[in-house]
Amino acid sequence: MKFEVGSALSIAAILFTVIVVAAMLIWVERRLLGLWQERLGPNRVGPFGLLQVVADMIKIFTKEDWVPPFADRFSFLLAPPIIMVVILLSFSVIPFAPGVGVIDSDIGVLFVLAMASLGAYSVMLGGLSSNNKYALLGSLRAAAQMVSYEVFMGISLLGVVALAGTFNLREIVLSQADGWYILPQCVGFLIFVIAGVAESHRLPFDIPEAEQEIVAGYHTEYSGMKFGMFFVGEYLGVVLVSSLIVVLFFGGWLGPAFLPPIVWFVLKASVFVAFFVLLRAAIPRPRYDQLMNYGWLFLLPLSLLNLLLTGAFVLWQEGM
Amino acid sequence: MAVAEDTTELDPSLANLVEELSLRFEQEIVAVQGYRDGIPVLWVTATGLKTLMHYLRSSASIRFQMLFDLSAIDERARVHREGQPASDFTVCYHLMSFTHPCDIRLKLALSVSALSAPTVTDVWPNANWYERECWDMFGIVFEGHPNLSRIMLPPTWEGHPLRKEHPARATEMEPYSLSQERQQHEQEALRFNPEQWGMTRESKNSEFMFLNLGPNHPSVHGVFRIALQLDGEILVDAVPDIGYHHRGAEKMGERQSWHTYIPYTDRIDYLGGVMNNLPYVMAVEKMAGIEVPERVKVIRVMLCEMFRIASHLLFYGTFAQDVGQLSPVFYMFVDRERVFNIIESICGARMHPGWFRIGGVAQDLPVGWDKAIREWLDFMPARLRDYDTMVMNNGILKRRTQGVGAYSTKDALDWGITGAGLRATGLEYDYRKARPYSGYENFDFEVPVAANGDCYDRCAIRVEEIRQSLRIIRQCVDNMPQGPYKSAHPATTPPLKEKTRLDIETLINHFLSVSWGPVVPPQEVTTIIEATKGLNSYYLVSDGGTGSYRTRIRTPSFAHLQMIPEISRGFMVPDLIAIIASIDFVMADVDR
Amino acid sequence: MNSASQMLDALRPFLVYFALVIAIVVAMLALSWLLGQRQSRPAKDYPYESGIVSVGSAHFRISVHFYITAILFIIFDLEVVFLFAWAVAVRENGWAGFIEISIFIGILTVALLYLWRIGALDWRTQTQRRQLHSLQGPGGVTNIAPETGGRS
Repeated sequence: MKFEVGSALSIAAILFTVIVVAAMLIWVERRLLGLWQERLGPNRVGPFGLLQVVADMIKIFTKEDWVPPFADRFSFLLAPPIIMVVILLSFSVIPFAPGVGVIDSDIGVLFVLAMASLGAYSVMLGGLSSNNKYALLGSLRAAAQMVSYEVFMGISLLGVVALAGTFNLREIVLSQADGWYILPQCVGFLIFVIAGVAESHRLPFDIPEAEQEIVAGYHTEYSGMKFGMFFVGEYLGVVLVSSLIVVLFFGGWLGPAFLPPIVWFVLKASVFVAFFVLLRAAIPRPRYDQLMNYGWLFLLPLSLLNLLLTGAFVLWQEGM
Repeated sequence: MAVAEDTTELDPSLANLVEELSLRFEQEIVAVQGYRDGIPVLWVTATGLKTLMHYLRSSASIRFQMLFDLSAIDERARVHREGQPASDFTVCYHLMSFTHPCDIRLKLALSVSALSAPTVTDVWPNANWYERECWDMFGIVFEGHPNLSRIMLPPTWEGHPLRKEHPARATEMEPYSLSQERQQHEQEALRFNPEQWGMTRESKNSEFMFLNLGPNHPSVHGVFRIALQLDGEILVDAVPDIGYHHRGAEKMGERQSWHTYIPYTDRIDYLGGVMNNLPYVMAVEKMAGIEVPERVKVIRVMLCEMFRIASHLLFYGTFAQDVGQLSPVFYMFVDRERVFNIIESICGARMHPGWFRIGGVAQDLPVGWDKAIREWLDFMPARLRDYDTMVMNNGILKRRTQGVGAYSTKDALDWGITGAGLRATGLEYDYRKARPYSGYENFDFEVPVAANGDCYDRCAIRVEEIRQSLRIIRQCVDNMPQGPYKSAHPATTPPLKEKTRLDIETLINHFLSVSWGPVVPPQEVTTIIEATKGLNSYYLVSDGGTGSYRTRIRTPSFAHLQMIPEISRGFMVPDLIAIIASIDFVMADVDR
Repeated sequence: MNSASQMLDALRPFLVYFALVIAIVVAMLALSWLLGQRQSRPAKDYPYESGIVSVGSAHFRISVHFYITAILFIIFDLEVVFLFAWAVAVRENGWAGFIEISIFIGILTVALLYLWRIGALDWRTQTQRRQLHSLQGPGGVTNIAPETGGRS
């Protein structure tokens, strides 16, 4: 029996950390938004409002766990856990540092993309099962947006895959020892960031839950922890996309030796988390048709071109 | 044909027109009546109403392009009707010209036994809601109206509240209670019925979805409801439903004294603050014959412009927010706080100071009042430039709002659109310039105009108006005249305090005017101002008492909301939100 | 048999992780079910529609328009699968593979062009298109130069 209690504990630690980080991100985001919007943000509960998350947790756990009588009970219950599960599972292939990570999968990139596709089910099921018109509009929008951006997201990563010659995320990090992929893959990076925001449907791509338009979109009828799962799922998504950016384009844990690798990883990821919050503070929301148009007519050809050029570059470098 | 005694000096071309009309339409015009506001009143017959309207609209020497207001008066309890034809209920049509500085009012006398008037919706499309309101409030039936149903009050309501016999306060009625069954009943009554509005439930290819947007929705700015007919996300048709914010402000005007009604006006356009007091006190002053001192005029203008900026800032922020930009609204609220701090230091209250008085303002300006204003005037332009970069020059925002919800100047006039919504179509019409009031003729400012009349232009106009208002305020601060802050006229309420300490007569006068308020001679007066959201007017009828006999408040937002279906058909839900955001309304201003 | 058990060994951390994830999610739901209050009020039986009783249900036939996106996705995502296979083995396939994939991507692009030309990638409504065409100039205030207007 090679598998030990120790590694089980480290797996549990990773999971725990990821969830806590996502929960704390709610506080971080509110404080950062406050900073950028000439206001304070939560500052009453605990020092700097740090315990706000705890207060929110207590509140959300004691809210009524309600299934509307008019909803389709089974899919209504199923939708929120799906988003939690698929995003948490995506973290299993992320290499946080040497020796820190759940599994070294040879199909890491594919696994993450597959999980992202499954995430669309959560949003669609939630919206369709609610039997609410706002939720229906939200899930229709979500379906269109997520399936479209999935295509570009996949292709945008292929440049990195071509350079590294592997789908294994840990090997991708290691192959960046001579230079991060952000330089040769800046186009791929931009496309991935855009697609990543669209996949985690945050502002400016929060079309499926656009508050000003369709109230809360697909989770209009959700309350209590089931709503909380959608909510935390969004923040988990931000952490995931930030981690992926770091792994794929910014050399993962690699960095000068005066800081331990895991610290490098966390630092880099934090920058992107803050970037996503800033994005939310700064940019208005495009319309559904503009978003789709932009994706299909601009991002898709661009990502294809990027892939072809990268392929040619790799072959030319090999001297073939 | 009788001509009333107190016809005041009319504009010469308008006098000619009245002359011409009374000759040409001898059959149709029953009487001519004139008032201190310089608006001639023509009493017409029901059959001649539309002929006259068509003539005034398209052939007369002065053309009237807009049905500015349509309301009614319950005349049954009125004592002073000298020179007016017998009437139980009078329907008043206020027509406005945009080529001449002239208005005209048509009146139609109805007897209580035959309360019906011909509809004018085929002449003026915007008459639709006004006629519904008249029916709702007075029970006057408009023959041929496409859908004469309740508009302000719930469909289950009984009675017509602006009739004199209808109780005005809750203590005159049974205690209100809402049982489970009653609640159910009311709820069912609100359910949207597509067939009532001539809508089908499905097309050849798909079923339509009927969606209630509001009254409880994040972006309808209060309690406004639009029932949408949707094909997917595409808007096939929409039916706005208003009245959720109705508080009976017009009815309250009949119960309050002239003086005590001032705070109620603050809450009409609740973002406009003292701007709402202005048309009201100006109307009362005109009736009582009060001429206010120069200092009062400038103080009033200064505060009105501050409120215009405060209101426009809120519009600007929420406009950006409704197209999904999260941050600007916070910056603009902070700026709004700065305006309110200044307003508070002058008036003692922030949003609803109720600070104007009949014949003046409540107090003189405090010592050192100009320092904070000057600092703020120096501070604002840089902020506005920041906002330009952040909002107006933002590519996504432009793509979301340009070419969305556009209408032409003609449409705007047809639908009674005024204010920024009218100027965005290219018509340079600002009431402050066209017919200056309260000393606006002494100020140097521009009237911004745009070309496309879409959501983006409506916003751009208001942004520029903030700058122009800053200019006006700067001129107020630099040139504030010295002098009293109240008129010495006996009807000024409350009168200048100094005089009360000298002799018993003025003390009695002071006591009476504080306890009863001034007695205003029988008059009918309309005053119009360029308010924050468009043209706002008060039509006051005095029956020689201490309170108004009829208070008609014409608000810009009411007309603007009526146009929403016209300009949003064929767009998507997000466009509708942008259109709603670009209109800049508050529900209190719509429902009153 | 041996390789299968090896694979299971390699997967074991993942399976443990998976089990933990499921456990946490179930625990969260169970806890909220246990701790949550319960109230029954008549208004709860209505779907939320801005506080008004709704007309018709949220389940109905929607226009074919919405399915086009799904079809596009299926077509393109399937084709992208080939790209995945090539990307990971660029070096092994050499220039020959590159030319082949270029042809493939070329066909894909032609298909995209075709879709664009027939208007399948334009999700705008007629009105949106028409109004955008009738725009005069860049929009915004026309009669006041921005630098003079701002002076106060």
